[in-house]
Amino acid sequence: MDFSLVIAQFLSGLSRGMMLFLIASGLSLIFGVMNILNFAHAALWLAGAYFCYTFWYLMQGYGFGLWVAIPLAALAMAAIGWVIEVVLIRRVYDRELSEQLLLTYGLILVIDDLIKLTWGAEDKLITRPPLVASPVFFFGIPFDSYFIFVILIGVAVAIGLWLFLKKTRYGHIVRAAVFSREMVGALGIPIPRIYTGVFVLGIFIAGLAGAVQAPVGSITLGMDTAVIVQAFCVVVIGGFGSLLGTFVGSMIVGEVYAFSILFWPQGALALIFIITALVLIARPWGLFGTPMRT
Amino acid sequence: MKRYWWIGLIFAGALILPLTVEEFWVHVAIEILILGLFAVSFNMIFGYMGQLSFGHAAFYGVGAYATGMLMVKTPIPLPICLAASMIAAGVCAVIIGYFCVRLTGIYFAILTLAFGQLIYYIIFQWYSFTGGDNGLQGIVPPKMLFGATAYYYFTLFIVGAALIVIWYIIRSPFGYTMRAIRDNADRTRFIGINVRRYMLINFVVAAMFAGLAGGLLGPFNRSISPDLCNWHQSGVPVFMTVIGGALGFLGPMIGSVVYTFLMAFVTGFTEYWPLVIGSVIILVVLFVPGGILGLVEERVKIFRSKDMADGVDESTHKESA
Repeated sequence: MDFSLVIAQFLSGLSRGMMLFLIASGLSLIFGVMNILNFAHAALWLAGAYFCYTFWYLMQGYGFGLWVAIPLAALAMAAIGWVIEVVLIRRVYDRELSEQLLLTYGLILVIDDLIKLTWGAEDKLITRPPLVASPVFFFGIPFDSYFIFVILIGVAVAIGLWLFLKKTRYGHIVRAAVFSREMVGALGIPIPRIYTGVFVLGIFIAGLAGAVQAPVGSITLGMDTAVIVQAFCVVVIGGFGSLLGTFVGSMIVGEVYAFSILFWPQGALALIFIITALVLIARPWGLFGTPMRT
Repeated sequence: MKRYWWIGLIFAGALILPLTVEEFWVHVAIEILILGLFAVSFNMIFGYMGQLSFGHAAFYGVGAYATGMLMVKTPIPLPICLAASMIAAGVCAVIIGYFCVRLTGIYFAILTLAFGQLIYYIIFQWYSFTGGDNGLQGIVPPKMLFGATAYYYFTLFIVGAALIVIWYIIRSPFGYTMRAIRDNADRTRFIGINVRRYMLINFVVAAMFAGLAGGLLGPFNRSISPDLCNWHQSGVPVFMTVIGGALGFLGPMIGSVVYTFLMAFVTGFTEYWPLVIGSVIILVVLFVPGGILGLVEERVKIFRSKDMADGVDESTHKESA
């Protein structure tokens, strides 16, 4: 295998991993803090992509249309995330795992069908602005220039989340809540408000990820079904509630997929599930998680 | 035994059902029975072992493919195909379960989901063997069972027999051991029971019955597709069990009746069935936590069977992981 092919696959794995990181970071944050596994995360991600399409469509005449549409879509999803948290998720904090999973499972069905009702069944395609329309060349290898933007967004979200968790007061509270919510509550911090904030932040990132995904190819119904399982794999490999773990997990899944597709295209996804299973068996709390969660 | 007169009543009703309704409803009834067995087998893991499996559809799908492929490619008679379905699902469950029983709670759910997806992708990608996403067509039942009514009686017989076997398993010392493990795995270990081995056996038996349910599906639909084992399908028995009530033996069956009837009714006039069932799922989770059987039990004493709710303490039933 020659060097240029390795570079090409590495870059493709990097962009894939960044996409997964954007989706999985919110999922991991929500689970880490709220102990709720949000099955509907990828459905909300898909909704973000459709919102991006609509905003872009409305501003089609302007060159900056897409660049405004992406943050707008993320904000729209944050608003929807807030409604979902306050109306539904809040009621099942103390319920059993099966009921929480079932609730978010029901949400997927509802959201997917609402998307179908709103945007119809045909695929949606965003015409990219000229800046990211043509490929760039690394060592003579063509690379989709839009993915440079994807990688930048991924890095920005990673750094932003890290700064937020390490440097701000709110971030400290969130990290403390991952460790022990009873203690945080005992210190007089309103846990429900923290939960709502975390959920909205998680869905905001999911919406952003969807919006960023939108111009990559066409937006199709049902794109979310495969994505959610891969996002679970990322979070399991990295460890629930660990930002670093989610980042490393995304890179592992992205690169494993990119390289295994060269040798064994049918088995690329299967390999990811096998890695996930191995991590779960050896270290159920993931590579970077902490085993002492309650 | 006096308490169980209503089971006889249900059985008698099931026997005369095809004579009284249109063929469409006979089809619905067959589906209720198949999905009901699927859900009852799921509840062996969920209700009686206390672990939530989100990959149970994998065994359902493996069973469906075992019978489907044997019937399309060989002249083996249907009952033997069904036995092969149980064995195929059981073998898969031994391998998967060996790892899964090491985990509990949310990790158990995710590991079963990951393994389920692994099986889904194997079936989906292995074109030369399974037909991939084209599925499998032309699974024709034997001439004797060609009509809906005949196949209904056949399904009723198989599902009824399977339910009786599961009932005896649940009421056996083995079944009580499972409930002990569910309520307190540590204490069960202290009295010298090999918890993991018991959990594995239970997991495999549950998977075998899911495989049997899957096997019945192919000859009924005349075709199967890999979507049967996708994780979306694993949510169906979870929903049926929660809506029917996990603590009653027939809870999942009641859930199957509700789900399948609703599906037959709703898909008649709208393509937005997922929207309807999704909303129902959300409403049930929010407002009917004990399921229908729980609601009935609160009001009607006659349904309160002592050994169903035996030793169930809400606080210990909760996941500790």
